[in-house]
Amino acid sequence: MAVFYESLSAAARGLPVTLAIWLSAVAAGMALGFLVGAARFFAPRLLSAPLVAVVEVVRGTPFLVQCFLLYFGGPFIGIDLSPPVAGFVALSVYGAAYFSEVFRAGFMAVPPAQLEAARLLGLSRTQTVLRIMLPVMALGVLPALANLAVILIKETAVLSIITVPEFTFRMQAVGSASFAVVETTLVLALGYWALVEATAWAARRVEKRIERALAA
Amino acid sequence: MSVLEVGALWRKVGQAEILRGIDLTVEAGEAIGIIGPSGSGKSSLLRCIAGLDPIASGRVLVEGKPATPGDGAIGMVFQHFGLWPHLTARENVALALKLVRKLPRREADAKADAALARVGLAAQAGRKPAGLSGGQQQRVAIARTLAMEPRVLLFDEPTAALDPELTTEVLDVIRDLARAGTTMLVVSHEMGFIAGLSTRVMFLDHGQVVQVAPPKDMFGPGAEPRVKGFLKTYLDRVAWAQG
Repeated sequence: MAVFYESLSAAARGLPVTLAIWLSAVAAGMALGFLVGAARFFAPRLLSAPLVAVVEVVRGTPFLVQCFLLYFGGPFIGIDLSPPVAGFVALSVYGAAYFSEVFRAGFMAVPPAQLEAARLLGLSRTQTVLRIMLPVMALGVLPALANLAVILIKETAVLSIITVPEFTFRMQAVGSASFAVVETTLVLALGYWALVEATAWAARRVEKRIERALAA
Repeated sequence: MSVLEVGALWRKVGQAEILRGIDLTVEAGEAIGIIGPSGSGKSSLLRCIAGLDPIASGRVLVEGKPATPGDGAIGMVFQHFGLWPHLTARENVALALKLVRKLPRREADAKADAALARVGLAAQAGRKPAGLSGGQQQRVAIARTLAMEPRVLLFDEPTAALDPELTTEVLDVIRDLARAGTTMLVVSHEMGFIAGLSTRVMFLDHGQVVQVAPPKDMFGPGAEPRVKGFLKTYLDRVAWAQG
């Protein structure tokens, strides 16, 4: 019974940290990913080549390794971040690499005639992106964005190894102190699963709303 | 001064020569029909005139000045309409009036409604593209282009994606515009329509002009052998259908 109460209190302290880092990293990652995706779609190859390299490196290495490098390696080059900030930065960059590909695919999926019409009618590139491309691609990219957000929730667990006091870190502490490893791990699984379901539900709501906006 | 002057226009894609030295001068109020086999360069010619595709050499002048996309000199209507699906018909037409012409909202909407009325869609102004038939969507696209008052209107196979009934309602709109004196170039495989609409018809093959002539010559005894051969397939099909 003591383990149960300790788990509850650990969850109550860890989940808000998980949520805060996850939500802010999703927002920052999406914004950064949008800019990178737009740059890769619109900029000449010479300019987008370094971005391609960064995206490939981030996608080509495990998130765990990136966290280690940033948190333990960062101080050697003058980047000395607290665990939560390092976690937020690492997760944002990791997410941005994937978000950028989703947005790039979204840009590519906008029918050419819609863009050529905008160009001939005199809309600027920025106006075309904001007023035409973003709304047109919204419905198409939403499932992929939600999918990524869900993956990022689960990746927050990795931040426990750089001592971010999030959900997994807290529950593992209870588990190793009480030897109730299975029970605490089950609570962990349930907690993440609930977060994922809530995210999927929210994404479906947004999807419905966009569908209504496109309906006749 | 002629409204549109195309001179020695070449377009290349890699080694392929898509257009090989096209010359065409269009006077105000003319309707030029452009016909020819698929791959002959008809759509490429329109896209080069509009500035959507780069040209290898030559010139495109609208009222004596080089035209650039977005300067309002040239309007274009596409085979696949290119309507913006998240905006109503009125918003589709009014968007460029607001963002480019900087008209106040009320004025832009009034102008959009007038353009929609001109293509017979006053009652559908509040509908999104998904709630319109293909013919209605293409008419909205025409209204969107008209509202910006271009000097020259280009139609790139405007009815190729439509069934015969919807084709007729779009062609009627284009014919009305031509009668009202709109300067236009129309690429189409609707031979009867091109014959009735055009002041002159241009026949393209392999990126070159085979013949430019008034419709009575192009669709009559005055046609070049290559043109006759092309049109024969159409006439044969009509004959075959009539048994």
